Order: sequence, then structure tokens, then C-alpha cells
Amino acid sequence: MSALQLDRVSFAYAGAEKPVLLDACLEVAEGAFALLTGATGSGKSTLLRLAKPELAPKGELRGVVRVFGSDTSALGARDSARTVGYVSQSPDAQMVCDTVWHEMAFGLENLGVPEPEMRRRVAETCNFLGIEPWFRMRVSELSGGQRQTLALAAALAMRPRLLLLDEPTSMLDPIAEKNFLSLLFRANRELGITVVVATHAPHAMADYATCAFALEGGRVREAPLDDVRRPEPCDTRLCDTRLRPLCHVLRLEDVWYRYGRDARWVLRALDLEVRAGEVRALVGSNGCGKSTLLQVVAGVLKPRRGRARNALAAGQALLPQSPKALLARETVLDELMEWSRGGGYGRAEAEAALATLGLAEDPGRHPYDLSGGQQQLLALEKLLLVKPRLLLLDEPTKGLDRPARERMARRLAAAASDGATVLLATHDMAFVNAVAGSVSLMFDGGITATEPTDEFLRESWLYRA
Amino acid sequence: MAAKRPIAFDACHATVPAALFAGAVALSMLAVHPVCVAVSLVGALLFSLLARGGAATARGLAWQLPLLTLVCLLNPLFSASGSTLLFKLGPRSVYLESLAYGATMGGLMVAVVLWFEGAAVVLTQDRLLALAPRRARTLPLLLGMAFQLVPQLLGRSRKVRATLSACTAAGARPGVREALTRTSSMLLTWSLEESIERADSMRARGWESGLPRTSYRPERLRPRDAAALCGIAALLALCSVCAWEACSAWRFYPTIRGLAPWWCLAPLAVLAFLPSGAELVARLRERGRR
Repeated sequence: MSALQLDRVSFAYAGAEKPVLLDACLEVAEGAFALLTGATGSGKSTLLRLAKPELAPKGELRGVVRVFGSDTSALGARDSARTVGYVSQSPDAQMVCDTVWHEMAFGLENLGVPEPEMRRRVAETCNFLGIEPWFRMRVSELSGGQRQTLALAAALAMRPRLLLLDEPTSMLDPIAEKNFLSLLFRANRELGITVVVATHAPHAMADYATCAFALEGGRVREAPLDDVRRPEPCDTRLCDTRLRPLCHVLRLEDVWYRYGRDARWVLRALDLEVRAGEVRALVGSNGCGKSTLLQVVAGVLKPRRGRARNALAAGQALLPQSPKALLARETVLDELMEWSRGGGYGRAEAEAALATLGLAEDPGRHPYDLSGGQQQLLALEKLLLVKPRLLLLDEPTKGLDRPARERMARRLAAAASDGATVLLATHDMAFVNAVAGSVSLMFDGGITATEPTDEFLRESWLYRA
Repeated sequence: MAAKRPIAFDACHATVPAALFAGAVALSMLAVHPVCVAVSLVGALLFSLLARGGAATARGLAWQLPLLTLVCLLNPLFSASGSTLLFKLGPRSVYLESLAYGATMGGLMVAVVLWFEGAAVVLTQDRLLALAPRRARTLPLLLGMAFQLVPQLLGRSRKVRATLSACTAAGARPGVREALTRTSSMLLTWSLEESIERADSMRARGWESGLPRTSYRPERLRPRDAAALCGIAALLALCSVCAWEACSAWRFYPTIRGLAPWWCLAPLAVLAFLPSGAELVARLRERGRR
């Protein structure tokens, strides 16, 4: 029996003219690990949600969506919750309870599962995923990767037969992503749960998948796994990578930083020099202090010891990890105009920036209605409008699909060729290869090595573009 | 000196420490009697030293002792009653009795605060929330969400302000009022947006599926806990009677009189020293078994 079947499904959102899905046909066999790929806005989330009636979007649906042979429109909330598990993108937003044990039991409580049975299922799920050590921890103490694993655990505890995941790893760093995927893989192979993952970066999952489908123009076509396996390169070199013989604009000497008196040192004896016009990438594992370093450079955090000198402190801009920390207005045009007075630009420049974003037709759109990638690009445009001399970027490509990454790379290259100095923290080595002139590897609170990008990638054992 | 975390109430059901601390707080508040208050204060202080450690208790006392002194000194200015005139402060007469009443009230306030602080260490938020009655199982969920929201909002507001202050190229900073409006509206939109995804996550896991909810209780009430609860209930009943006796005989005004016999105050002392005694015994036993 097929676990998920779409039979000539067309769907248009209420009030929208163009349908998102058009005569889409799909069949996922029971026990499969299926990838659903496609660009942002291609309808992947819509397709997944149509298979989960309590999350189904409002709009006009034609055709039939079947889960294990039964029509989802006839599937009640209870049966749907029992049969189909769902994990979404954000590690923060999908957490409901304040403790790990309660989060895991939440779905079982809702279904009225008797307590002994509930204890058994929670215990087995914890054993399976190896999360017993954090069972009594608070959700707020967990890292992003742990939260996403908890979301998976909470879904698995309900013993679903089909698990739908919508961009489950796009907010995770590469190591957390691999951990999550290996757990998902085990759930698929060892427990026999059918898995359908919607993703715009499928190459990391290709080794686990048994089949892949691509969504294009509202239609679904089966994609060969070999096509999916290749990573998406940002292969065009966009920046001039030669180190310029210019003066240093950033100079950090013996910088130490920790968040509290009793906390561990996040930065220890860190030295960093960046020349004017340089594009420098900071790489290193999660929690190695990249974001803290950016904040010290920006002057938001003062070093506990040592000196941080920034010659461009009066003309800098910071793109935070979450663009929502920067988006403050109700429409995209207002957003771009927010700093027009202080930044010395006018409506014409803002409209030109809108056009670069492809939003010239839609200046009244709310920034939150954009996809995550577009929000990131909007935030970058907002920063570029004030013509910063120093751009600090924290994980600029997290959750971005290929076109958005390329656009981000092009905009950065343009800013750099105008003379801006760029310091960016990232895990995305293909992006580093495309835009950065030099790379600094952070480890143990300090800078372990700084080399030109080519040399760094050539010599590296771990980091490859 | 003291361990960071108390261990005496780890191994029993949360209702046991909850009943004990609720009783201690209630009796401290209701028994306005200098000896009762002093006993309660010493008991609370001892438990705080054991459970929270010397440094945390000292940090607390740094504001609690001035509060005690302030209440003690302010009372004579508001209530000029009593018979033993100490001195005159302008038009106000300061009597020994009203000073004693003030000291008792100040001590009472500090004792109650100390009991609450001690209880908060033992009864962590999730243990406390799990005590909600069966019929109100959504209450802990709601409160848990609210408790999560506050630190999350504070963390995000720091991020928003840090980002704005890092963007110096954007020109002059907005004024305090404008910055506050900007931050709060951003946080509101951000939280609302997230609540939509959270609601989806709840519905995806059978929230509002129409079935009667059950509950997962991380702690089970054992016969030992029931026995402890009965013991505490009996002690609290005895303490209430004794406190009633002691307080009804006691007079602050016009002259201080009516000290109850020692056996009337003994149960209160047992109650006040029970938490620290239990903690000490638990630690000694732990050490013996190591």
C-alpha cells in the first residue's frame, strides 16, 4: 500500500489567482524515505500540509490526497494525529511545553493515552533516540539541534506510520543536521516509519533517501537520487581574493570575553586583524564564539580583557542570525525606508532595492509574509542602503535556497567592490569559496589559522567547498 | 560551604515539600507573636543557608535586613500606641511597644520571603506545575508557556537592541521612547508569528482532537509520601492550635504581656526546624553511604 498518494491534486490558496499545485500526482510507498525538493515558494509545504487535515491550508482543493489508502478529507483529527506525524522548521516555535518530558508526553496526553502506556512509549522513544540524559531538562536549556531532535521525539512517541517534515534542518548547523538526519534515518529503517522530507537543500539527505520528487510549476516529477546528491555549488568566484596591501581597519589584540563572572571564557586571547576592503570568513563549530566575536567587533560587547579597535565603528552594519531582529516595519517599502533620514538615501534608492529583491510590484507586502530567505535578503538590502563601510554578517546563508544564496553572494561582492570591508561568520563553505578572500578558523575561543580562501580549502582536511 | 541544591525533598513527591512550606509560610504570616516570628525566622534562615548557600542568603539579607529595620523604625511613626515612652521625635512619641510590634512585623516579612526563597529551590517550576489538579490540566500548560515567554522576550529584546546599536551606519539612534515602541512592536509581531507555528505544532499532535486528555505525571505518590503528608498535616494542626493559644494570650499594647508557656511554642519550633533538620539528616546519611 502507498503511504501517501496524491491523485491529480490541484490547490489554490483562498483569494489567489494562480494555483500552487496543478494536477500533481505523487505516490510514496510504505517504508520509503522520500525527499520533496523545489525552490522556495514552489508549494512543498502546501503539499505536506494537505496530507495533514488539521494543518491543511484554506483554499480550493481538487483531486484526492490519500494517506494509507484513506482520503484525508475524511480523516478526523484523532486518526490524523495517530497516523501522521509532523515536524516543522523552527526549533523554537514548535516547542509547546517547558520541560522535555512534558513535550514528549504532550501528544499522548491529547490523545487520552492511559498513563502506563504513555510512560512506556515515552521511555522507548527516549531509548531509541538516546535522549534520556536530557529527559528532566528544561526546553530552554537545549540547543537548537537538541530541540529539533526533541520535536522528532515528540512526534515519534505517538508512533505515527507516516512522518512529514518541512525543512527540518534548515535552521541547524551542519553537525546538528547530520545528527538529526541519522536519527531520522534510523526511525525510517529500524521502525519502518515512512518519511517524507520537504527541503531545498536535499544533497545532505540524499544518502538516506530511497526516492526523490521535484516540485516544479505545481507539478511533481520523480527525480533521480544522483541528481539530488550533488551539492549546490556557488561556484562562480565573485570576489577579488588577493589580499590588498592596505591598512588594518579591525585590530583585536588579546581579547577575552565571557558572559558572566562565573561563565566560561567564550573568547580567550583572541587576535584578529582585518584589512580595509577585505572579505573575511569566520568558520568553526557551533558555540565556538563566532557570534560573540562579531558583537565584540561591533562594539555591542566590551572585551573583559584586551583591546578591540575598529576604525570603521561609525559606519558599520550587522546582519543578525535571525533577520526578524532587524525587520521593524509593516511593509517591505517602509522597511527599506526606515533608515532613509539617517542613512542619507531616498525613495528612489529604496525602490531600486525593492526591484533587486523582485518585489517592485509588491511594495505593500508585510516582511513576515516573505519566505525566510527573502527576509534575509530584505534585511541585507536594508543594511546596504546605508552604505556601510564595515558589514558584519552572522550566518547569512542559513536556511537559504540556491537562488537566494547566489543573490546574497552577488550583493556582497558588489558591496565589497565598492570598498566595504566584510566579516562574516558561516558554516557554508561553498559560500565562503564564492565570496571570501580569506578565512579564519576559530577554535577554543581564539583564531587558530588565517589563510587566503584557496589555500585554506586546499589544505583543509575537513572544510571543503 | 553548603551544597548548591537541597537533597532532602528530591526523593519525595512534590506535595510533601509543598505542604510543609505552605504550612510554614501560612503560620509565619498569621502568628503575629515575637517568639513565633523569631523561631520561624531562624528556621527559614537556617534552611536558606543549607539550601541556597551562604553567598545567596547573604545577598538576600543585604536588602532584607534594611527592610526589617525600616519597618521596625517606621511603625512608631504611624502608630503612636504603647505605654513605655522612649523618646519624642518632634510631635510624635516613640513607645517601646510600637517599636517591638514593628520589629515583629519586619521579622515576619523577612521570614516569609526566606521561606518562599527556600521553597523555590526545592519546588522547581515544573514540579510545582505538575501539582495542578487533574481537572485543570491545561493550566500548567498555559502557565508553562507564559513562563517561557518572559525570558524569551527579554532575550529577543536584547538582540533587537544590540542589532540596532551595531548598525551605526544607519545614522543617529532613535530616542528612548521611539526605540521602546520599535522594540515592543517588533517583539509583538515576532511572537504572534511564532504562535501560529506553535498552534500548528499543537494541532498536529492532537490538541483539541476531542478526546479526554490524560496526564503524564513525572512523580508518583507513594505510601511513604502519604505517611509524610499525614504527619505534616497533624503537625500543622497542632501548630495552628498552639499558635492560636499563644497569639490570643499575647498583647503588644498598651503593655507587652501574655507570654505563653514553652510547650505551646514547641510544635512551632519543630515545624520551623523540620526542613533544615530533614536536609541535614539527608546529607549526613548520604555522606555515610558514600
